[in-house]
Amino acid sequence: MKKFFGNPWAIALFTLPTLLLFSVMVFYPIIQVFYRSLFDWNGLSAGTFVGMDNYVRLLDDKGFQVGNLNGFKFGAVITVFQLTMATLLALSLSSMRMKGKSILRVAYFIPVVLSVTVVCQLWLSIYNADTGLLNRAFAFMGIPFKQNWLADRHVAIYAIAFVNAWQWTGYQFALILAGVKSIPDSYFEAAKIDGASSWKAHRFITIPLLSETYKFCLVVSITGGIKAFTEMFIMTGGGPGNSTYTLTYTMYSAAFRSAQFGYGLAAAAVLVLECLLAIILVNKVFKTDPAVEGA
Amino acid sequence: MKKITALFLALCLISGLALGCQKAPEPVAATEAQTEATTEAAPEPVTLRIYAQYADDDTKIPYDYAVAELAKAYPHVTLELDVQAQDDGQKLQTYAATGNLPDIFQVGAAQIETFKESGNIMMLDDAAKSTGYLDLAHPNAQSIIYNEDGHIYAFPYAGNELVMWYYNKALFEQYGVKVPETIDELKTAIKTFKENDIIPMSIFAKEKWITTALYDSILTRYLPEGIVALDKAKANATDEPFKQAANTLKELVSLGMLPEGATNLNYDQAAALFYEGKAAMFINGQWEIEGSTAKLGDKVDWMYYPVAPGFEGNAKALSGGGAAGGYAVSPHSEHKELAAEVAAFISQKYCEAKYMKRSNPILALDITDLVTPEKELPAMMQKLSDEMGNITSTTKFAWGLTQPEFKVAMEDQSQFLLTPDYTTDEFIAELDKVVQRLK
Repeated sequence: MKKFFGNPWAIALFTLPTLLLFSVMVFYPIIQVFYRSLFDWNGLSAGTFVGMDNYVRLLDDKGFQVGNLNGFKFGAVITVFQLTMATLLALSLSSMRMKGKSILRVAYFIPVVLSVTVVCQLWLSIYNADTGLLNRAFAFMGIPFKQNWLADRHVAIYAIAFVNAWQWTGYQFALILAGVKSIPDSYFEAAKIDGASSWKAHRFITIPLLSETYKFCLVVSITGGIKAFTEMFIMTGGGPGNSTYTLTYTMYSAAFRSAQFGYGLAAAAVLVLECLLAIILVNKVFKTDPAVEGA
Repeated sequence: MKKITALFLALCLISGLALGCQKAPEPVAATEAQTEATTEAAPEPVTLRIYAQYADDDTKIPYDYAVAELAKAYPHVTLELDVQAQDDGQKLQTYAATGNLPDIFQVGAAQIETFKESGNIMMLDDAAKSTGYLDLAHPNAQSIIYNEDGHIYAFPYAGNELVMWYYNKALFEQYGVKVPETIDELKTAIKTFKENDIIPMSIFAKEKWITTALYDSILTRYLPEGIVALDKAKANATDEPFKQAANTLKELVSLGMLPEGATNLNYDQAAALFYEGKAAMFINGQWEIEGSTAKLGDKVDWMYYPVAPGFEGNAKALSGGGAAGGYAVSPHSEHKELAAEVAAFISQKYCEAKYMKRSNPILALDITDLVTPEKELPAMMQKLSDEMGNITSTTKFAWGLTQPEFKVAMEDQSQFLLTPDYTTDEFIAELDKVVQRLK
């Protein structure tokens, strides 16, 4: 049996179905996205080859510009919020003196398992301009800061990004906590003997050793921001106007509302490229020195 | 040993799955004699898949009535309902793209164009004649029944529906406000209501078709053809009427005509403001008549949109209108001829149900001689029915527009117009960009 599994042909045989499935389900559609983006196509008929026309049009499309900018705003909000909060929560929970850890660990993760629709409905109530919890809280504290959170075209994208940040912080928290747990206790014990405070131990031991985890968290949150769709679809329908469009929403709107699949796929192609670029950049920033890695 | 056992179990599972995927054995064929006997006795039972709206009383009651009537007229036909999703036609588009279109499906005007190009919709000219559908067609509904290319692709049941401005008579009386007949009177009304903490007009502007309808209703004050002129590329968005309408709407909004955060209000929230007496006016289609009468009784009425100075001749030009949408048939259906017949039948029965049970006489077919309403028409509907002859023109609802790209731009931009710092210049420039591209 050992000999069988050590055979490269056997490995190829066993991985082939997965590779085939992956190619059919992932690579082929991506190639189709780029190919079809060169057509004036309504999604049903054969379409007409128009070269780079769809991409040229994208440059002049305010919806595309807004969508692009919103993707970065969304990504920035969720990245900063999720990584900061997840780190703080994970570090506080990894503290030996902390009580009720298991309850808190579950509590932080609860939003992750909720349906996005449920979360959006919850926040729609909270953001309601007249009856929402948020404006009521400001009024209760005597702060004159009543906002139309989702009806203000400059504020809505941040309000929606916060909903996503709130829901998925628990996911990042779980990843970082797992990373913290994987660091041997002896490192912290040594630091303690050397007189390092808790803060210094985390600053010089925990966080540097979590660089791989942070790399993954960053990729998840940045690409999550660029390709955000569900929250704005449920909460604002992309509005007011197109002020909460993202690239994915631009794609959806072009394909399914305007029946311009070719144009929508041009937006999708840009989305794919942006996500790839983000991954490359994150990998470059967090590139581990091979000498350190091997040490 | 464990690995061998695991491998054996995996093989068992795979072979089990493979067996499960095998085609089921064909049922034992009936003898020829048996088949002939059955054919003579009754037609073969047929099940037709139908993709239809089935969400509220306005869609459930007509559908259920039509199904019951179908069982009497076509006992061998069974309908398998696939409930229409409110998804901008995504599901239907996916069905078409995957060759899985239902036999009969409800389709909007814009999607008909896409389906026509790709051969996914059957021409129903012959069926419209042979089933007697055309004999019942309302004289005013010709533009709804026939597509712009002169053919029939769907059997509509809704007539020339309209965008209505409803108002709470009691609130107008209470605050001594005259029902506005001019834009200036409307501004006065807004001011008075605002001073008394009453929202002048409630709107569920989270939905973009209603923001289009609001802009269009103001536009008809200056240009009776409304947004249809842009949809048909007969005008430029930079033309004066479009600017005037945008400026007027912008001014009314800045005076406080709409609730705060209107662009995030859904139907339930906006309707509640009106029915709870917190808003003096409410904009929706004529289908709100039944519900508003039930909730406010004789306190509610509808008004003609206020007239712009110098454009008094457009007073009775209304926004709304029908569209060449309705029940269509898939050309790939196994029983397409029968499906076309059933589609025409269903549309007729919808008209009957809407007239009998929903007190709606504004339909694509004239069935007033065939059935009688179960209850008296609400006063507002009677008034509308009486006024139909005086209405000088209608436009289109957003879903009746034929250029999908223009529809999307119009919906987005009209919603933008209701936000505080969006300028009319931005509105016009963005619309014009699309209109020029479509020319």
